[in-house]
Amino acid sequence: MSDKAPKRPGTRLRKLFCLAVFSYFALLVLATLSASLVRGFFAPPTTQPIAFPHTTHADKLNLACDFCHSGVKQEASAGVPALSVCLSCHRAIATDRPEIEKLLGYERRGEPVRWQRLHNLPDFIHFTHQRHIQAEQPCAACHGAVERMLEVQRVRSLKMGWCISCHRSRGAPRDCATCHK
Amino acid sequence: MDRRKFLQLMGLVSGTTLLSSCGSERNQKELISYLVPPEDGVRPGTAAWRVSTCSECPAHCGITVRLREGRAVKLEGNPDHPVSQGALCMRGQAALWRLYHPQRLRTPLLRTGNGYRPIGWDEAMKRIAEAMTASAEKSRTNMLLTGSTSGSLAALQERFADTCRIDRLPEFEFFNHAALRQAYQLLYGRPRLPRFGIEDADLLVTVGADLLETFISPVGYAHQLSVARREKGLQWSHIEPHLSLTGANADRRLTIRPGSEATLLLWLLQTLAKRRRYARRLPQQILDALPKISLARAMDNSGLPGSSLTELARSLEKARHPLLITGGVATAQLAGGQVALLGCLLQWVLTVPWQGLDFDRAENFGRAGDLRDLQQLNLSLQNDEVGVLIISRTDPVRHSPQKWRLDENLRRARLSIAMTDLHTATSRTTDLILPLTQNFERWDDVEPRIGIHSLIQPAMAPLHNTRSEGDILLELQQRLTGRSEAATYEKYLQQRWKKLFSASQLRAFINKGFVTKGSPRTTISLRTKPTVAALRRIAPSEPLPAPATVITGSIRSFDGRSAVLPLLGEIPDPLTTVTHGNWVTLSPRLASQYGVKDGEELRLTKTDFAVAQPARLQPGLPDGIFGLPIDSLTSGPPGIDPATGEALRVIGGIKAHPTGKHFALPILSGSPSQKGRGIIPKPIHRKGKHHAEHRSLYPEPAYRQYRWAMAIDLKRCIGCAACVASCYVENSVPVVGREEHLKGREMSWLRIEPFYDDQGRASFIPMLCQHCDYAPCEPVCPVYAAYHNPEGLNVQVYNRCVGTRYCSNNCPYKVRRFNWWQHKWAPPLEKMHNPDLAPRSKGMMEKCTFCIQRIRTAHETAGKEDRLIRDGEVIPACAQSCPTDAITFGNLLDPQSAVARLIKTPRTYRVFEGLGTEPAVYYLRPD
Repeated sequence: MSDKAPKRPGTRLRKLFCLAVFSYFALLVLATLSASLVRGFFAPPTTQPIAFPHTTHADKLNLACDFCHSGVKQEASAGVPALSVCLSCHRAIATDRPEIEKLLGYERRGEPVRWQRLHNLPDFIHFTHQRHIQAEQPCAACHGAVERMLEVQRVRSLKMGWCISCHRSRGAPRDCATCHK
Repeated sequence: MDRRKFLQLMGLVSGTTLLSSCGSERNQKELISYLVPPEDGVRPGTAAWRVSTCSECPAHCGITVRLREGRAVKLEGNPDHPVSQGALCMRGQAALWRLYHPQRLRTPLLRTGNGYRPIGWDEAMKRIAEAMTASAEKSRTNMLLTGSTSGSLAALQERFADTCRIDRLPEFEFFNHAALRQAYQLLYGRPRLPRFGIEDADLLVTVGADLLETFISPVGYAHQLSVARREKGLQWSHIEPHLSLTGANADRRLTIRPGSEATLLLWLLQTLAKRRRYARRLPQQILDALPKISLARAMDNSGLPGSSLTELARSLEKARHPLLITGGVATAQLAGGQVALLGCLLQWVLTVPWQGLDFDRAENFGRAGDLRDLQQLNLSLQNDEVGVLIISRTDPVRHSPQKWRLDENLRRARLSIAMTDLHTATSRTTDLILPLTQNFERWDDVEPRIGIHSLIQPAMAPLHNTRSEGDILLELQQRLTGRSEAATYEKYLQQRWKKLFSASQLRAFINKGFVTKGSPRTTISLRTKPTVAALRRIAPSEPLPAPATVITGSIRSFDGRSAVLPLLGEIPDPLTTVTHGNWVTLSPRLASQYGVKDGEELRLTKTDFAVAQPARLQPGLPDGIFGLPIDSLTSGPPGIDPATGEALRVIGGIKAHPTGKHFALPILSGSPSQKGRGIIPKPIHRKGKHHAEHRSLYPEPAYRQYRWAMAIDLKRCIGCAACVASCYVENSVPVVGREEHLKGREMSWLRIEPFYDDQGRASFIPMLCQHCDYAPCEPVCPVYAAYHNPEGLNVQVYNRCVGTRYCSNNCPYKVRRFNWWQHKWAPPLEKMHNPDLAPRSKGMMEKCTFCIQRIRTAHETAGKEDRLIRDGEVIPACAQSCPTDAITFGNLLDPQSAVARLIKTPRTYRVFEGLGTEPAVYYLRPD
C-alpha cells in the first residue's frame, strides 16, 4: 500500500474556486484603487460657467471677501453675489472680454448663474460663517489662499475630524449638537 | 443558478456600483446667484416672518408665517392678535398642508361626462360670462353662494352682485348658530353673535356650547377661559347630554337627558326670577308669560338630581359676574329655538347687567344664513329657475340632508361653478371648477369681529395656476359690464384700505397684521312684546327617547372641511385617541349590552337616517348616547329644524344593531385608565416617595450655563393637541398613515394621553421626551448616537444612529420613534420641510429635541451680542401654539426664569419619579 492518500476527486475544483474568489477580491481592490486614482488625477477639473479669476478681484484689486460674499459677517451662509453686484462694475469695465460677455448674456436672458459648489457640507450639518468670523477666523483658514487661485479649488477636506481638530485646539464647543442638526 | 454564474453576476454588480459612485461626492450641488438681491432682505439660510390671518374657519385667528428661501414652512400665532392672543389650533397649524396639498386643484377644470378637462382661465371666464348673459335673457336667476366672508371681499361681492345682477345668497356655514342669532334678533333686535366677556366672568355655565372645539372662536375662548380661571378664579359648569372635550375640561359636567335643555333653562329662569335682584330685570308681562315648571318636573325631565339643580341656581345667584352661553348641540335640535331663546333671556338677567355681552364687537355672522336658505336654493334648482350658480368656499352638498338630492339638483342649473382649493363633495358635482389661491399666496383682509380688521398677505408666489376670488369676480365684472371696480384685486384692496385707514393705521395694519377700530358701546334693551309672544309659544317638551345619537363637531376637522388634510388624520382625537378613520362612541356599559367591542360595526337607524360605523368605547359617555363625530356622518345631517334652520344634531329613538363586521381602528392609547401608576398623581400617590438610590457608572452631569427644562401645567392643559400639530410641522415629522398606526408605528414626538377615572372624568397629559438627567436611553446606545449634552438635552445624532432600537426599548416614557421606512413626501409637500432640521431616513430613531434648532438660533443671536440667552427667548413650537399657556420652557440654572420659579410650586411632580431618571419635564398636577 502506498503512504500517499489517494487523490480525492474535486481538489482541483476547490483550488479553482479559491482562485476565483481570490481574484474577485483582488480585482475589487484594483478597481477601487484605480478609480480613486482616476478621480484624483485624471478627472476633469470642475468647470465654472464663467472663469471668474479671484486673483484679479481679491489680489490685484484687493477687494475684501465680504464685498461680494456679503452675508459672511452677519449670517450663516456667505452667499454668492447677485448678478447685479457683478454688473455694478462690469456694466462699464472690460465689457469686451469674452467672460464678461457671458456675464452680460446671463443678464440679458434673465438667467441666474449656476456656479459649481466646491465647499459643500452634508444636509445634517449646521454651519454658520458668522460665528467663525466673529471668532476671528480668517477666511483662508478653511478656504485657503483664494486670492492666489485663478480657479478656486477646495484645499481642506471639510470632514468632521478636521473641524474637530480646530475646535479642540481653540477651545470651541465640541458638543455634537453644535454642528449636527 | 450555479456558483460561477453567481460570482460573475456579483462581480458585475459590485463593479458597476463602484464605478457609478465615482465622483458622486463632488459637483453635487450648485450655487445659484440672484439676479438682483431681494429688497426685503430675504437671505438664504435666514428665516423671515410675515403677519397674516388664518382662514381655516370663520374665527380668523392671527398668525405669523415663517419663511425660508421664499416659502412658508411654519405658522405660529400672532401674539398681539385680539382674536387668538398668540395661539393657533391644530387646524390652523395644518393650513400649510392645504397650501402644499398634492391634490390641490391646479387649473380650471370643465366637466366632460364623468371626467374633467383642464381649460384655460380665459375660456373658463368666457363660459361663465356667456352663461350669465344667456340665463338672464331666459329669465333664470344667477346666484352667488359663498362660505363665511368678511372685509374687502364681502364689499366686492356686494358691488359685483349689484352691477352684474346676480343674487347674493346668505352665506352658508354648517355651524351657523342660526337659533342664537334669531333669539338675539327677537330679544334685542340684533341678529348677531356678541363677543362673550369670558375673561371677566367668575362663573360660566355653558349649555351645549362646545367652546373649545367648534363654537364660534375656540382658540380665543380657550385663552379667555385660561385667563379667567387664573385671575378671576372662574368656576365653570358645562351641561350636555354627551361627552365633549369642552365638557371634559369644565370644573363640573352635568349630564342631562337629550332634549331637556329647554326645561332646565326654564326652571333656572323661573327660580332666578323669584329673587328680587333678578325679578327687576324682567317686566311683569314676561314673568307672566313664562310657563310654570316644578322642580320635580325639571328633575324628571333632565335626569339631574334636585341637589345639582338647586346648587346650580344658587351658584348663579351668588356669582358677581355670571355668564351663561347656550349653543352647539343644545340649539341644533327640534327644540333648539326655545333653548336659544331661554338661554339668551337668562343672559339678559345674569350677564347683561355686568356687560358680559358685547354686540358692538359682534362676531362675523352678519350675513350668515341657515339650512332653510339652502332648502330655498334647492327648490329654485328643482323649478329650473337658476341660471349660473357660483359656489365659493363652502360645501352645501356635504352639509344638506341627503333626501334633498342637492347634488342631482345642482345639475339643473344652467352652469354650476365651484370655487375651491381642494375637491369637495360640491365641486365633484358642478360643471366647472375654479381653483382658488391659498391664504398664503394673496393679499386680502378679513373682519372676524366688528371693528377688527385683520390682514392676509402673501408669503410666497402662487404654486399653481390659481386665482383669488377677488380677481375672478373683478374679471367677470369686467366681462359683463365692460368696467370693473379695479384692474386687479390687489389694486382694489389698496383703494379700499386708503379709504378705510389713516396712514398710521395702514402702517400698523401691514406691520402688526391687524387694526382695531373702537366704537362707543351701545346699550341693548329688551323688546318685551315679541319676547312675550315667543314665550307664550314655548311648551316644555319631553326629553328625546333613549338611546339618542349626538352628532358632534370635531376639533380635528371642524365641520368636516379639514378632514382632507392628512396631518389631522394622523393626530389622535383627544378623547378617543383614534387616528385615521371614522367611528361611533358608546359607553362601555352600553357596548356590553349590544355585545360590541372596539372596532365592531354598529348600524344606527331611524326612519330616514342610517349610518354604520365601527364602535369605540368611551368612558365617561352617558349610557343611552351614541356619539357620532361629524366626519363619521357619511350622508349629510339627518334633517333640519324648520323653526330655526339649523341641522338636527340630536336624534332620539335610535335603533342600533351590531352588523357583525369588524374594522381595525387605529387607537393610540394603550388604556383609558392609568392603572394606578400615578402618571397624573392622585392623593394616594403623593404619600410616600420611594426614590431608588441613585447609582451610576458614568460621570455625573455638570451644567455650566444652561439646563433646559420644561414645566407643563396640567390644570391649564385642555388636551386640544394644538401642540402636537405644531410639533409635527416644526420638526417635519412624517405622516405615516393608517396601516402604520395599526402596527403601533406612529411618529408623533409629542402626544396627549387622556386618562379616565372611575367616574369617567378625563384628565390630559402631554407626553414628550423628558430629557432625563440619567436618561435610560443613553447608556444603551452602542454607537453614542443618543448622548447627554452639556445643556441637559438628550440629543439624538441622527446620522450616527444605526437603528438598534435599544434606546426605545429602554425608555420608560415611550417617546422615541423609529423610522421603519424612508417616508415619502408627495410633492410639493417637501417644500414644507424645516431646513433647520436634519432629514431623517429609514432606520433612524428620532424624538423630541426641545426644538434644539430654536435653541441654536437663540445661541447665535446671544453670541452675536456676547450675552447669555434671555428667559423667554427660546419658545419651543408646542409652547408657542398652546392657547392656555400651559407649557413654559427655560433655563433651570437661571433662578429668575419662569420655569425655575414654576417648579418650586407644591403642585410640581415628575412622571415616574421613582425610577430615578430625573426628567427635565416638570408637570404641575391639576389639583
